[in-house]
Amino acid sequence: MIPIRCISCGKPVSAYFDEYQDRIAKGEDPKAVLDDLGITRYCCRRMLITHVETW
Amino acid sequence: MEFEVINKNKDELVFMVNGADIAFVNAIRRICMMEVPTIAIDDVNLVKNDSAMFNEVLAHRLGLLPIASDIKSIEGLVMPDECDCGEYCPQCSVPMTLNKKGPCVVYSKDLESLDQKIKPVYDTIPLLKLKEDEEVCLEAYAQLGIGKEHAKWQPTIVCAYKFYPELTFGDECTSCGNCAGACPRGVLQYNNNKVEIMDLTNCSMCKSCYRACDDRVINISFDDSKFIFKIETDGSIPPEEVLLKACDVLSDKADKIIEIV
Ligand code: SF4
Ligand code: SF4
Ligand SMILES: [Zn+2]
Ligand SMILES: [Zn+2]
Repeated sequence: MIPIRCISCGKPVSAYFDEYQDRIAKGEDPKAVLDDLGITRYCCRRMLITHVETW
Repeated sequence: MEFEVINKNKDELVFMVNGADIAFVNAIRRICMMEVPTIAIDDVNLVKNDSAMFNEVLAHRLGLLPIASDIKSIEGLVMPDECDCGEYCPQCSVPMTLNKKGPCVVYSKDLESLDQKIKPVYDTIPLLKLKEDEEVCLEAYAQLGIGKEHAKWQPTIVCAYKFYPELTFGDECTSCGNCAGACPRGVLQYNNNKVEIMDLTNCSMCKSCYRACDDRVINISFDDSKFIFKIETDGSIPPEEVLLKACDVLSDKADKIIEIV
């Protein structure tokens, strides 16, 4: 499960997790999706980019 | 003191303060983070949890949910230590329940609050996953609190200030444009054989431009009574409310000191 908030700054990144995953699966560029979702800081961006959903 | 809003949207406020000193601005910053009350889930009674997630982890995740705590929503609610019930009463806590049967992903929107206004800010936060025939059933109490006690009660995520940058060119500037090429933030731009300053608030005072200038004629400094202040919240309280509340808290503190002295 994705952490509720960004570990560094506290932004609730998990709220965008489903949308991010869906759009990536549709073939959109991760950079464009993150920019569009308003996730600007690199601490928050790595939360979504590097997350591996295992359970 | 002079204020100017530079940028503002739902969760973010960037403004310029002129004529303040560091101690004052820093006091405001710390109070914004640590002493503006917000609501967070403080206690969880788990009746049933069949999922792969440990009870403690689930309770922790619930605690981190941003919950609407703007002035209108928290009207009438008192801080738990000011309430003499000793337990959870309607004056100091908001009960929430979660009942879900798998297979599904349980989201923050599935959390049912007794108070229509006090509920998770985002509906789309995944809390846990349930497989076939697994069930979760819990009762949670949300209470007011401050960031000093636990980070889950911090309304702000980014709350910081920096000095207002000042850029000047010496007389020996040959308008070669090297500085503009070295600026990583696009503050300096080279147009028509002239270096122009675009958005000074974006300057990080990294001095790349200074190092790129052969004769070191560009000057980067700051005004130590002028600040750029940024407040970004987790959505629970609008940033301007955080700032207003912080000012109230600070003036209460000042009143207390005056009383003692
Ligand atoms: S690099 Fe130095 S000399 Fe060249 S334009 Fe910039 S300030 Fe002027
Ligand atoms: S100090 Fe850094 S950010 Fe500011 S103008 Fe110079 S190179 Fe750009
Ligand atoms: Zn972050
Ligand atoms: Zn009470």
